[in-house]
Amino acid sequence: MKLKLFHLLALAATGLAVLTVLPAQAAKVRVVTTLTDLADITRNIGGDHVDVFSLATGVEDTHGVPMKPSFVPKMNQADMLALVGFGCEHAFLPALLEASKNPRIQYGKPGYIDCSKGVVPRDVPKSTDHSEGDVHPYGNPHYMLDPVLAKTAAKNICEGLITVAPQYADEFTRNRDAYLAKLDAKIAEWTEVMKPLQGLKFVSYHEHWPYFAARFGLVYFGTIELKPGVDPTPRHITELIASMKAEHVPIVVREPQFPEKVPALIAEQTGAKLVKLPIMPGGVPGTKTYIEMMDYIIHTMVAAAPK
Amino acid sequence: MKKILMLLCLGLAVPLMQAQETNEVEQLKQQLKQMQENFERVQREQKEQIDSLTKKLDDLSKQQQQQAATQTTSAPPAAVTADQFKDLSDKVDSVVESQTKELPGEFNPAIGLVGETIFSYNSKDSAATGSDRPGGFDVFQRSVELNIAASVDPFAKGYAVINGQADAATGEADLDVEEAALQTTSLPGNLELKAGRFFGEFGRLAYIHDHELPFVNRPLVLDQYIGGESQTDGAQLNWLVPMSHYLSVTAGVGDHFGDQQGSPNEFRTFTGLSFWGRVSTYFDLTSDWQLETGVSGLWNPDTEQNDTVVQPNGVTTFAERERRVAGLDVKLNYVPLVNNQFRGYTWGTEVLFSDNRYQVDPDGVPFNGDEFIQRQGAIGLYSYMTYKWSREWSGGFLFDYLQNAEDHNSVTFAYSPYVTWALSHWNQLRLQYTHTDNNAESGLKPNDAIYLQWAWIIGAHSHGWQQR
Repeated sequence: MKLKLFHLLALAATGLAVLTVLPAQAAKVRVVTTLTDLADITRNIGGDHVDVFSLATGVEDTHGVPMKPSFVPKMNQADMLALVGFGCEHAFLPALLEASKNPRIQYGKPGYIDCSKGVVPRDVPKSTDHSEGDVHPYGNPHYMLDPVLAKTAAKNICEGLITVAPQYADEFTRNRDAYLAKLDAKIAEWTEVMKPLQGLKFVSYHEHWPYFAARFGLVYFGTIELKPGVDPTPRHITELIASMKAEHVPIVVREPQFPEKVPALIAEQTGAKLVKLPIMPGGVPGTKTYIEMMDYIIHTMVAAAPK
Repeated sequence: MKKILMLLCLGLAVPLMQAQETNEVEQLKQQLKQMQENFERVQREQKEQIDSLTKKLDDLSKQQQQQAATQTTSAPPAAVTADQFKDLSDKVDSVVESQTKELPGEFNPAIGLVGETIFSYNSKDSAATGSDRPGGFDVFQRSVELNIAASVDPFAKGYAVINGQADAATGEADLDVEEAALQTTSLPGNLELKAGRFFGEFGRLAYIHDHELPFVNRPLVLDQYIGGESQTDGAQLNWLVPMSHYLSVTAGVGDHFGDQQGSPNEFRTFTGLSFWGRVSTYFDLTSDWQLETGVSGLWNPDTEQNDTVVQPNGVTTFAERERRVAGLDVKLNYVPLVNNQFRGYTWGTEVLFSDNRYQVDPDGVPFNGDEFIQRQGAIGLYSYMTYKWSREWSGGFLFDYLQNAEDHNSVTFAYSPYVTWALSHWNQLRLQYTHTDNNAESGLKPNDAIYLQWAWIIGAHSHGWQQR
């Protein structure tokens, strides 16, 4: 009898312990990010207090993350949503937000963190007419490929985390400062490594690289796409090859989500070197974090540049 | 002599007097000249003093400005407080923010227009195909669809779809409000309410607009059992079940559904309304393969349709009295994460069971007492697969099977290969061939048709959750 009572008490104690642990886990700040770079930065700042889920895995097109219904429960339970902004996620995020039925992360709410806040956009179109392709009315959204602007995103994420979980404000701030210091050191290193490449011309498949080129003094010569979101025509490819030859453009960048055939053809015709560069962490093996990704991009460009 | 002397004295005195007067004038003139000279000298001296002072003042001002500038440039950053810096930073952010508004048009609604033209050739006339379009060559402006959407307030958004369509008989434009509804955005408990005129959630493709279908024409089973698009005037409540797995539950009520006409009764009871519901779920089979499935139901207990359908014998008529439709849908998607804009595969199937009640009039003469209610079961399905091999090109095959809802012995098959060329996201051409085969009971003839669909979009066009 005593033994049974003991078992019952032990069972009750275990149940109580489980119940005690569960709320502790639930107390984590649930963050959904659209892309993996924001997820990595959020993990660095949030530490153990955040549970981060990224809609993208890293290999997708930043404008074409599949709208999986399995994302909906994640977004429904999220305390915070971090997005790139400048219309980068226009093709998938509005519908997912609608389906999430989560008022905490809707536009204008404290849990809606637009990481582009404070970033001065490049290439803001004078017209949003579709004759210019799938233009972004607010400017080019690929600012995360400039590590200095990624610092702005980190600051916005930190502010967002503090807003939704002010009890961890000190820790978030410490983590942010530590991450920014680490990033600053890497920026200094990358800047030094890229100095010999100043003035180097390159083309890419999609308009991903204007911020990157401006940061490191490269010349962004053009894109393989006819217009954003519009595949190249034969005439465009011919003209691009001719102008690349005339201007001695030595590098063709292919982002992983675009087919290799046309970039390889252009590289072959012009004698340029074809390189595959990720546009967010996880895009190619060995680039799980933002810093690893930028390391990969910088060193691949340096290796590909004419000596 | 005296006179002469007097005259001489007088003559001498006058010039003397005149000489005295002349001296005084000269003196006065000299005094005036002196005064003028004195005035000019004082004026000159004062001007020199003023100039000198002005120059001194300018020199001093310049020196002070230079000192102030030197002090400003050499001031330590600490002179700007953190609050001032934050204030300035906020102002800069607000300027940037004002350039990056997320919602289209702010207080103006997002407006878009969709155009869709169908060029076709049918080998049989409309009497043989049962279509409202003529046989032979046909050009049909199927839709000019105006889409308008905006937030109503912090709690709801509103949208409308107004469609202009060429009338089959006259060719004149026929305007129709396809949808005009209010949709809540902030109901608690994962709920969302939609009210007004909208496409009710039944199955997979019944609530998709024509131009968004993966092929040219709506599947036969949806056309007959639902009546094309699942349009209703009513209200619909959707609930996202609060769990880690995706499960969506929808229920709605309206005064009609699809092509169903409202009750002609002057007083409509509760049973005269249409009720529908749907439960759907989703599974990630792998990171690239997705499976969505759902079950749907539609019930109108008392349809009281005035329209009667004459059966192939030419005498007997059917009038729908109760509508019961159930559906099962499955969609398997291959969406490779790495290049889903360039590769993809979809297999979708929907099976519908119709279990309607009809008032049968064997001799076609109403109210003579021989009418009776008959239950009629029928089944229909469509199944399609689409393969996408580039950003621009995709192709597929659609199979239709339909038992007539009023007579399950009347069967139709249709086979439709199609190829789609998307010049861009907003401009698309589709070529489709359809062979339709009807059995003898249907009273229809086999038909071969070729369709060329050209659809385009201008203005705002968003992809809602339903159209994913």
